[in-house]
Order: sequence, then C-alpha cells, then structure tokens
Amino acid sequence: MVALGIHELTADWTSAKWLLWISLYAGFGIVLPRVMTLAWAHQHHMPMRPGLKQIFEHGELGLVSLMLAISVIWDLQKSEYTSYTVALGSVFLALTGIMAGAVWVEAYCRRFSGIRFTSERAWRDSRNLALLVFSLALVTEILLDRFVKVTAL
Amino acid sequence: MRLADPAAMLAYVSLLFGLLLVFFPISFPKIVLHNWQSARLTPIMILFTVSLNLGLYLKVTYQRSARPGILASACLGSVPVFVLAGLNLLLQATIAHTLAGDIRNAPARVDEEILAQTFFAMIAAIFAPFLLIRLGQQFHKNNS
Repeated sequence: MVALGIHELTADWTSAKWLLWISLYAGFGIVLPRVMTLAWAHQHHMPMRPGLKQIFEHGELGLVSLMLAISVIWDLQKSEYTSYTVALGSVFLALTGIMAGAVWVEAYCRRFSGIRFTSERAWRDSRNLALLVFSLALVTEILLDRFVKVTAL
Repeated sequence: MRLADPAAMLAYVSLLFGLLLVFFPISFPKIVLHNWQSARLTPIMILFTVSLNLGLYLKVTYQRSARPGILASACLGSVPVFVLAGLNLLLQATIAHTLAGDIRNAPARVDEEILAQTFFAMIAAIFAPFLLIRLGQQFHKNNS
C-alpha cells in the first residue's frame, strides 16, 4: 500500500510550527509565572529570586499539563481520524493529563492533612509528567497536521 | 514504582518520534509502513518496548536499592505483548473501516492511521505495564 500524494508532505518549515505552538504553552504556562514573580519581587523590593522548582514545588505544572491535554483532545475529536484512533489518542492524553493534575491534588491533600510531604518529590513528579504530556501533545498535533494535509489532497 | 518514573523516558521516546516525523516526513513513515506491510513492525515494537521497560525497571530498583520482583518483571515482559497484539487487531479494524467507506484518498488516509496508531500503541505498550504495577502496589498496600 503506497501512500498517494505523499510527496505533498515534503518537509516545509510549516511542519515546525508545532514547536512554536508548544512553546506558547511552555511560555505562558511556565516562563510567564516566573517572569511575573520576579517582576512582583522587584516592584515590592523583595530580594527573592525563586526558580521554577520553587514556584512549582506543589505540583502546579500538572494543571498546565491538564489544560494542554484537554486542548489536544479537543483537536483530536474534531479530526477526521477513525473513531478507533481518536479514542486511543484521547484516552492516553486524558490519562496522562489527569495523572499530571493528580500530583498537584496529592500535594495539596498531603499538606492539608499533615501527612509527610516532600516538595522535591512533587516537583520531580509534576515535571516528568508535564514533559510527557507536552511531548504527547506535540506529536499528536504533528500527526493531525499531516492527516489534514492528506485529506486535503 | 511511581508513574512519574517512566514518564521522562517515555517523553523522550515520544519526542524522538516527533522529531523523526518533522525532519524525515517521507522516509520515516515509509520505513514504518514497509515494516508493517511485511509483518515486522509488531515484533520490532515488542522487542523495543520490552527492552526499554526492563531497563527502566532495573534502573528504578537500583536507584531505590530494592530487589526486582518476579511478578513485576513478568508484567513488564508480557503486558507489552498483549497490548501490541490487541492494538494490532484494532488497527486491522481501522484499516477495514477506512477502506470500506467511499472515502477519497483512502490509501493515504490508511497510511496516516497506521502511523498514528503505531505511535499510540508504542506509548501504550511502554506505559501500561507500569500502570498495572502501580495499581497492584496500591491494591497490595490497601490490603496489608
């Protein structure tokens, strides 16, 4: 089975637009909070210089990941992939998004209840799961982009 | 075993897949499709995912100075096989569904469906065993 018109999918740099797209989430969801923190500290003449690890030490990265997963699931649902592929992709994105969000929930519950809580662990878990969600989202959007080009042939 | 342990490695595998798609948009999918047509794709994926899972598990047990469990190792070896075999059947159904309909450019769509399902199947095969191990550990902890 040879793909018809696959030459239409020749690399042009519009395929790399998904790197720009994912950078928007990374920028607004991760870099912007740090910039705003530094701006606030400067405005109030505070000496604090928190890094990403301190800002997101309670697993907040999981919330950013969950929002990203939801937007990609929506794109997948609107696509013309068969229902099997849409279901498979949606389930995995939802699963990873929920797990990433669960890190934040667990961190809150542990702190509230006084059960042993390690911010180092929350940061590490939310960082790894956020990286996973970001990479899954990126590849899914690249696949969706290719599929749109194929269906337009 | 925490689910965040394999997450980073899985993210790198996923990113590698994505970069191959962006920088080799014709040759990489052709390799995948050629291997699928010659029935080599599933065995290659089984070999890759089982090796990766076992390597990840051994790395985590070494870092935590724990002994690798037999059940966990068996899970890591067998679950990817079942997941990939099952998703292969799903892919067959997808292809039949696409070709059965009167859809324009059906063969090209089928190629893209194969590529997408290969990606999701690989993710599932790497992740599912760790999910089961984690659920088993929770269940064991609740019962003890």
